[in-house]
Amino acid sequence: MILTAATYFFGASAALATLLMLFQRDPVKAAMLMLAALLSTAGLYLTFSAQLLAALQVILYAGAIMTLFIVALTVTPAAWRDKPGKGSFSRILGLAAAALILTELLKVSAEFKTVVFSPEFSETGTLDLARALFGRFAFQFELLSLVILTSIVAAVTLISKRKAV
Amino acid sequence: MSAYSLSAIAFTLFSLAAAGFLTCGSLVRMLMFLELMLNAANIALVALGSPAVSQAYAVMLFAIAAAEAGVGLALIITLASVFRTLEPGNIRELKG
Repeated sequence: MILTAATYFFGASAALATLLMLFQRDPVKAAMLMLAALLSTAGLYLTFSAQLLAALQVILYAGAIMTLFIVALTVTPAAWRDKPGKGSFSRILGLAAAALILTELLKVSAEFKTVVFSPEFSETGTLDLARALFGRFAFQFELLSLVILTSIVAAVTLISKRKAV
Repeated sequence: MSAYSLSAIAFTLFSLAAAGFLTCGSLVRMLMFLELMLNAANIALVALGSPAVSQAYAVMLFAIAAAEAGVGLALIITLASVFRTLEPGNIRELKG
């Protein structure tokens, strides 16, 4: 009962933060609302008994990625980043497209009738995850280091090219 | 909890982020909403999949999201310094 209520609470707070972000003009305040949405997601992971994912969500998303965004916002001049958004027609078109996506997704998921997780908190989620990552998915997990390395090289190349220009 | 309720939470988050992506006028904001879309997909994966396997995929998606954010922001900073704007409508050529 408490876990079900917590799931709805964290889901609603993440949705509310994302909704407020849509109408927030100040980019730093928008970044703070994004942080609230990401922390609510960490809460959602806790209710799913995914403790490691909740910790990774706080460290990676709410920590590292948010820091990157704040750095990007501070190095770009205010005159470029604070321009008003697209025209009202484009906005309405975008909102209509998003509403259509939501309707279709909900229509498809109406078929899901199964109960997916028991409302009891489990403490063995991390152990099962570690067994999967270092057993069945060990090769894919190691390949991720290559992905990260490639992205680091790409980012450094892009920024150094900019300095050369 | 039914799968429908959990998927409704994830899909609502995804649609709100998609609405932001389609309506905002700045590249940094677009990337922020893109991250939130990926986050919503991750929630759907963890909520609807079998516990250990879906969580393993979610960990891999975390790494991919971090890589994507790093490359995306480097691209945006480079584009901003070349074109002097963050508005995607003003960037009309991508010649290297």
